[in-house]
Formats: sequence, structure tokens, C-alpha cells
Amino acid sequence: MTLANFDALKAGDTIDGPAFAVSRESIRLFCDASLDYNPLHLDDDYMKGDFGKTNFGGIIMHGMNNFGLISRMLTDWALPAGAIHRRLETRWLKPVKPGDVIRPAGTIKAKQTTAKSRWVLVDVAVQNQRGETVAAGEAMLEFPASAKAS
Amino acid sequence: MAQAESSAATPFETDFWKDAKLRKMWDDIVPGEPRKTLPFKLTQEAIALYCRAVGETNPLYLDEAAAKAGPYGGLVAPPAIHILLMFACTPADDWMRSPGTVNAGQSWSYNIPARPGDTITLQARALDKFIKRERLFVVHDNVFFNQHGDVICSGRGQTIRPM
Repeated sequence: MTLANFDALKAGDTIDGPAFAVSRESIRLFCDASLDYNPLHLDDDYMKGDFGKTNFGGIIMHGMNNFGLISRMLTDWALPAGAIHRRLETRWLKPVKPGDVIRPAGTIKAKQTTAKSRWVLVDVAVQNQRGETVAAGEAMLEFPASAKAS
Repeated sequence: MAQAESSAATPFETDFWKDAKLRKMWDDIVPGEPRKTLPFKLTQEAIALYCRAVGETNPLYLDEAAAKAGPYGGLVAPPAIHILLMFACTPADDWMRSPGTVNAGQSWSYNIPARPGDTITLQARALDKFIKRERLFVVHDNVFFNQHGDVICSGRGQTIRPM
């Protein structure tokens, strides 16, 4: 994994986070932690029905669980270098279900120096065990000029 | 605080069907109209539970002594704690809880961290609504503040509303 050093970073450098095993229990725990008890994540009978043209066939993981895993990857990478997670934009591409194993990753896209600070843009994605991208987006990290990015 | 906090007396209703009829449907949602919100006292327990759910292990969130020596001078919550705050700061009849609400995407900007003990408030509203490929969308914007009036984070989301 690429070190979080602003001067050395270049487009195409990669970062990644640990794998996350999705289970009925992990989804239930996320309900309790987020207070999001939408039946999409709890109720198998409800999920047997159709949602417009979509049938999920069973409960699905919270989209925001992907968001939390991407955010964890970014802060774990940035914080030790004194960098700050400033923005995260994501969209969900495929549902994630119990039994899936998902993993976040990022690719450095660009660097920008502004009047008062330094910024890194990162393309982020979460993939499942089949290599399918289930969530994608973009993040922005700030590397304050005063920080020691050692 | 004069206003009741959402973490106080009444326990959180986990049956999202119970108040379903009280919630606004897509047709009733008026873009620009503020949503009802509740102040929420963020506890270290709630932060630790969130950390457990997503596998956060950074001592800045969990180890008081280590956090004290760190960049924030004390424990903080992970940036994505707004995932919890969205439901903690809204009442049971809020339309974000309508069964079948599907999250279509989110963007969040982070200013300063939330800290355990903070009383968090939310300013939120639907900003826009539209129809795309026979689906009913709402765009919502949200800003979380601490008890000093400082912005913690702000975000915009899109949900597909149940028919």
C-alpha cells in the first residue's frame, strides 16, 4: 500500500482496507449501531416481494455499511500522516447479501495545492468476492501543509 | 436542555412499520421544507458500537489515554458517525424510516469531529424530488452541528421512495 506522503504520492498509487465478511449478524449489528431498522435489512418475508422491477430475494446489507468501510480505510491511511478525511461521495451499484465478503480499495486520482492547503483526490470502490464492484465513488483528503507527513 | 433529547426516556422504536402511516409519501414531500429533528447526546457507548459494526479500531475513537495524546486532545467519533446521527436526530415519523426506502447515493463533507458527550443537532430538508425510470427520488440535505454551533459535517443524499 502507498504511504500517505503528499510529495511522493502520484496518480495510480493504491490504498486498500481489510476484507469484511457480511453475515446476518453483521447486518443486524449495523442496524443496532446505525439505528436503521429498515425491513430491507431485517425481514426476509418482506424481501420476497418486488421493488418495482427489482427482487432482492432476501435481506440486503445497508448501503451505508459500504460507506463506513471506505471511510475506515481512508482514515486509517490518512490519520497517521496527519492528513484529514474531508469528503466522501458514493453510489451503490449492486446489493450486498449475507455470505458476501467485501473489500474497499482506493486509487489516487489527482493532487491539488490551493491557497491554504494541499488535497488528494481518491477514486474509491468496494468489491465483492466475485470481483464485482458493489459501491464506487470519490474521496478528498486534506494534507495540511504544516503537518509532518513522515 | 429544554427540548427532549432523542436518547432520553422513550426507547428507540425499532419496528419501522409501527409509525409508517404517519410518514410522508413522495407525493407529500415538499422540497425546501425543513424536517423535524431532535437533539441527540452522543455517548462513548454509541461510538464504540458503531466502531464494532464496521471494524474501526483506531485508538482515537476507543482509547481515552491514546486519544488524549493524539491530534484532537481527546476521544472523537469516526467521520462516518453521521450514519447513526441521521436516525438518532430524527423522530419516528420521519420519512427516512419508511420501510422500503432505498439509499441511492450519498456525499458528505467533514469539518470537525463529533466527540463523546456532544449534543448533536441536525438541520435537514428535502431539497429536490424527481422521477427517473419510473422510480420516485428525493434529494435531501443535512447539516449536523455540535452544542457550540460548529458544523461537524454536511451531506447530501438521494433515496428512492417506496411507492
